[in-house]
Amino acid sequence: MTKILGKTGLESWLHNIMQERALVAPKHVGDLILFDPVQSVDEVVFDYENTNLSPKEFFFPRTDTLFTTKSQDNDVELIPTIIDQETVIFGIRPCDARGIAMLDGPYLDDPADSLWAQHRNKTTMIGLSCTKPAPQCFCTSVGSAPNDSSSVDIMLTEVDDGYAVEAVTEKGERLLQGVELKESDVTLSAPSCDTSVPAEGIVETVKKVFDSPYWSRLADRCIHCNVCAYVCPTCYCFDIRDRTDKGKIERIRTWESCQSKGFTRIAGGHDPRADKGSRLRQRFCHKLLYFPQQFGPLSCVGCGRCVVSCPVNIDIREIISDLQELGAKVG
Amino acid sequence: MVKEATEKVIPNPFVPYPATLTSSVDLTTDVKLFTLELDRPEDEFDYKPGQFAFVSAFGVGEGPFGLASVAYRKEGLQFAVRRVGTVTNALHQLEPGAKTGVRGPFGNFFPLDDYKGKNIIIIGGGIGFAPLRPVITTILDNREDYGEVLILNGARSPSDLCFASEFDDWAKPPRTKVELTVDAGDDNWNGRVALIPDVLAELGPSPKDAIAIICGPPIMIKFTLTRLKNLGFGDEQIVTTLEGKMKCGLGKCFRCNVGEKYVCRDGPVFTFAEISQFIEQF
Repeated sequence: MTKILGKTGLESWLHNIMQERALVAPKHVGDLILFDPVQSVDEVVFDYENTNLSPKEFFFPRTDTLFTTKSQDNDVELIPTIIDQETVIFGIRPCDARGIAMLDGPYLDDPADSLWAQHRNKTTMIGLSCTKPAPQCFCTSVGSAPNDSSSVDIMLTEVDDGYAVEAVTEKGERLLQGVELKESDVTLSAPSCDTSVPAEGIVETVKKVFDSPYWSRLADRCIHCNVCAYVCPTCYCFDIRDRTDKGKIERIRTWESCQSKGFTRIAGGHDPRADKGSRLRQRFCHKLLYFPQQFGPLSCVGCGRCVVSCPVNIDIREIISDLQELGAKVG
Repeated sequence: MVKEATEKVIPNPFVPYPATLTSSVDLTTDVKLFTLELDRPEDEFDYKPGQFAFVSAFGVGEGPFGLASVAYRKEGLQFAVRRVGTVTNALHQLEPGAKTGVRGPFGNFFPLDDYKGKNIIIIGGGIGFAPLRPVITTILDNREDYGEVLILNGARSPSDLCFASEFDDWAKPPRTKVELTVDAGDDNWNGRVALIPDVLAELGPSPKDAIAIICGPPIMIKFTLTRLKNLGFGDEQIVTTLEGKMKCGLGKCFRCNVGEKYVCRDGPVFTFAEISQFIEQF
């Protein structure tokens, strides 16, 4: 039996959640649909292919304070950031949730990143299955599916008279306590998504073509604008710097991109990735080789955001195909 | 792959131990040797030669530096820091008594216990000599545990040779030689004017029962590796410590990777056997 929550039931549930916790949901922001804190259910967008950005920033903010300093006499006190806001994210797509779960790999690896761990602990993710994958979507090619519930706490799937509800984790069950669900024998259909990207075996292929001139040819047109990293649900490189404001010092971390010039330049001037080709190779090798070597899955969830955002049409789907073709030639 | 985030309070690994700068001494025109003492007795900071730590100039930032001291002497945490950027400039301006912070120790270390009984060749270039100083200190403090020791220290110019005031002490014990070289001499320099790899070829240390430990700029490491190979050193007999752009030291920021290896966590100490398996250039 499937458990169903009616459309008005969902609205009042979200309304109730908002009374005790921060609710983050897809919302119209200018021409975009973005995850943003909402104050009223009226602001929530229910009908969208995917948001323009993943909700990664609610776990790994663009700028996050690691600690602040308080100076007194000659003493400096360091005050670590504590996250106590309970947050519920509604409407997260399976690909984006999977991206966040993947980053537990590096971030919770000992010693755990305490900020990431706190954000994860304090956040409950309500997923929404995809009913109409966008043209750029290819989650099914990289080990997921439009209805993959493995990385969310609760999964909702739109049906005729509301939403089918699956409590995936204990955290999800807790959030659903007291919510009235109808029993139904409706069968859930799963829409298909692009399965044509030949990602199988790509790890071995990338090793073979690592030294190919392919990368620098591809990088010729890269303008290192970094948008691919900023829209990516699994890009997690960062920079750390100090920010001072009226005597208050904060050590902050910010998003960074491996496509930036000087990303790897060390004191004294040596830069192992001074050319665009090796930087572009780093981006794809991190996703298709290093991350799988370190943590298992490819760190591409197939959301296709980099595909639509890249101003020079560098397309990871095409790259995977090209590499497989190249690899086959190398033998 | 996915680990359960637990509810227990996880210490924030980005918060440094509060520390005080107790001494700041000029080693060269642009290198200072800092000595730091941790402010809180409960903070544990045990480290081995080759490990590194981040030192903070609050309000400017922090940077990773090789520990130039040895833990067992309990003489404070020492770092030889060359003034090259904003953080190192700020650190150079700190006066003794200034408050700072230390995060670490990070990375692996030179397995000096495994080298007991062996002849040791220590080759360092410029500020690259900093992480080799604790290697020398440890070996000389336990001199009878090791065979012949050859120390080769090179720099751009005589005034850029780090730890010059310690050379005489290093050369004192029996079976211990210190060789110096510079890229360009000056009026007071009577020593060698040659590149480290060339001096190494000239000195021609025997690979028999030997370990070569190298640190310096990447270009020096690469040429020195080649010379050592030519001298017959095996891949496992050559050990180096690498540098990488680093922000966290924890294997998270993904700045220092060479292929799937992190310089900060898998290194910074690598044997040539390991380096030859790297998919990417360092």
